[in-house]
Amino acid sequence: MKSLKRIAVVLLVLCCMTSLFAQGAAEAKTSGPRIVTFWSLFTGGDGEFFDAIINEFNKTHTDIQLKNDTVKFDDYYTKLTAALAAGNAPDMIVCHQGNLLNYVSSGQLLALDEYLKANNFPVNDFVAAPLDACRFDGKQYAIPLDVHPIIMYVNTDLLAQAGIKDIPQTMDDLIAAGMKVAEKTGKMGIDIDNTTAVYKAYTLTRLFFSFIYQQGGTFLTADNKAANFNNEYGYKALQALQDMVQKYKTTPAGLDYDTAMNEFKLGDAAFYFNGVWATGTLEQQAGLNFVAIPIPGFMGKPAAWSGSHTLAIPAKANIDPEHVKDILTAIEFITGHGEMWAKAGHVPTRISVQNSKAFADLPYRKGYADSAASAVAPPTTAAWDEIYGTCSDLLEYAVVNGQQVQEALDLMEKTVNKIIASY
Amino acid sequence: MIPGNKDNRDGWLFSIPFLLVFVLFMLFPLVYGLVISFFRWNILSDKVFIGFQNYVNLFADEKFYTSLWHTVEFVLITTPVLLVLGFLMALVTTSKSPLRKVAENVFFIPYIFSMTVVSTLWAWLFQKQYGLLNKVAGLFGIQPIGWLTDPNWAMWSVCIATFWWTAGFNMILMSAGIKQISSEIYESAKIDGANYPQCVFRITIPLLKPTIVLCLILQIIASFNVFGQVYVMTGGGPFGKTRTIIQYIYETGFSYFKMGYSAAMSYILFLIIMIVSVIQYISLGRKSDE
Repeated sequence: MKSLKRIAVVLLVLCCMTSLFAQGAAEAKTSGPRIVTFWSLFTGGDGEFFDAIINEFNKTHTDIQLKNDTVKFDDYYTKLTAALAAGNAPDMIVCHQGNLLNYVSSGQLLALDEYLKANNFPVNDFVAAPLDACRFDGKQYAIPLDVHPIIMYVNTDLLAQAGIKDIPQTMDDLIAAGMKVAEKTGKMGIDIDNTTAVYKAYTLTRLFFSFIYQQGGTFLTADNKAANFNNEYGYKALQALQDMVQKYKTTPAGLDYDTAMNEFKLGDAAFYFNGVWATGTLEQQAGLNFVAIPIPGFMGKPAAWSGSHTLAIPAKANIDPEHVKDILTAIEFITGHGEMWAKAGHVPTRISVQNSKAFADLPYRKGYADSAASAVAPPTTAAWDEIYGTCSDLLEYAVVNGQQVQEALDLMEKTVNKIIASY
Repeated sequence: MIPGNKDNRDGWLFSIPFLLVFVLFMLFPLVYGLVISFFRWNILSDKVFIGFQNYVNLFADEKFYTSLWHTVEFVLITTPVLLVLGFLMALVTTSKSPLRKVAENVFFIPYIFSMTVVSTLWAWLFQKQYGLLNKVAGLFGIQPIGWLTDPNWAMWSVCIATFWWTAGFNMILMSAGIKQISSEIYESAKIDGANYPQCVFRITIPLLKPTIVLCLILQIIASFNVFGQVYVMTGGGPFGKTRTIIQYIYETGFSYFKMGYSAAMSYILFLIIMIVSVIQYISLGRKSDE
């Protein structure tokens, strides 16, 4: 028993000593560059462009170093929420504008106003709309990195082969052009993914959403308390999306996101709808000639679903203002190098970047930079993620199976209202 | 316990490391899960007590029933097939065939791969435009099949991948059971003129019954918990046609952060699995006693 005690004591002392050494090591670190850790979610083809900005930052800064951890988009918010709940979130995070509300209302994000002022952060250099979208109850909780609306990609070679001179501006023209391409070239006319595989059929929801706003409607009521699409706007929008698959066969059923992207990339589709983030990937494809333009006002005025990546700082007790200053330096640098980020396809939020020559020299981007003006952000409600995912399932069913449009809208309205009531 | 030794303090001492881990990581989460099923909670905000509201909502939730049905569908398809496959594999590996060692490895190796590896692999094989399966089928003039995107095929495709992946585990259990059957029984049967099918149906299967029951219970529980393959291969699609109950629990909990609702569904699933297991245990256990 005695020797057992002795061993226990020795072990205890050893434990203490190692933790002492560990402490020493941690302290020694502070003499090197200050570390800013952060998490991002860019795995959809835009990751490499983001890494380039981070590398540039680390190369040009000796006193601050950024340590980035990239998490797959689908799992990102799960991991982030768990980390916030456990209190071990990184110093800086990337967050979609639409997801900010959940974190702001539970007090997880740092209100930035006083720090922005103290550090002369160039808030006036930001485009007003996306910056204001990060303001809740009058306080700035995040800084927008980009705006990424859904746009239209057009394969110009296929259009030439089919003898189409003008880019269609109405739904009838689009369908006619799609059918003509299919008939003349045997390729896909309108490339819109409509089936869940790795990703849900989000493009359907994004387009349904856009078409409603094009007609002057809204997706939810003004107070975000109920669905507002079960009307002629919604009917026309869904009917058009369904007709492409069922009636005119310009789009095949069973098309998933990755396949849709590949079809256009390989030059096998004429009109492709996806977010601006596809641009960076598409332009790397040799021999693919295309233009990228804002979605025309097929159903009225131009309007397009749009997301926005923002940068925010998790709130921590006794946060060091000096540390916040370092983080803001990083945010200023990252947003200030928007022309590098624009290479992925995103629309930068800094006015100086939008006016810069570097941005003007990038192909395609200028063509759709204006689309930010007609961009429509998703409604600000905690229920949005579930509404978005569920509507994608229901729209997928309606489009692929040729469900009665009115029946589909009734079901969607009922489901969305039930979801909202459950929050 | 050592006879005559009434001092069992050392017993407790040796159990402590395990008990600590067990209580901390198994018992506590289990009880805590039950507690949060009575709350509305999104992890980050304060919990709001709502009594049985989560359970009431759950029984009115169509998506809950359809997801549960998809799980049951998966159980009904995979359980019999995996048992029969495992048994047939076990027959091969316990036979006198010179290939039995090779066969054993071939059958078991898929099982050691992780779920993600297997699912990604099969997702590629099943891919509609570029997948190997459709490429081969194309050589015979068959139109490409949307293995994972056609609602009639998706669940079967996931099942096929699961057959390939997990049948080897049942094989190991069953071949261990077969090896325990005394060879004398087979020898005397052969002397009496029994042929191979008679040996299998009259000797192997009856004597293997305890192992088969074990396999059945384990298999049903495993199949009820299906999630990973579906999540990686189809994402629950097309239009939620392969969304299983675990995936729905995961989505409500970790995508939509309705922790209480998610926990309530978990408890209902737990009850279902428990009832099924008890029924199985009682009904099958009794028969083997006879």
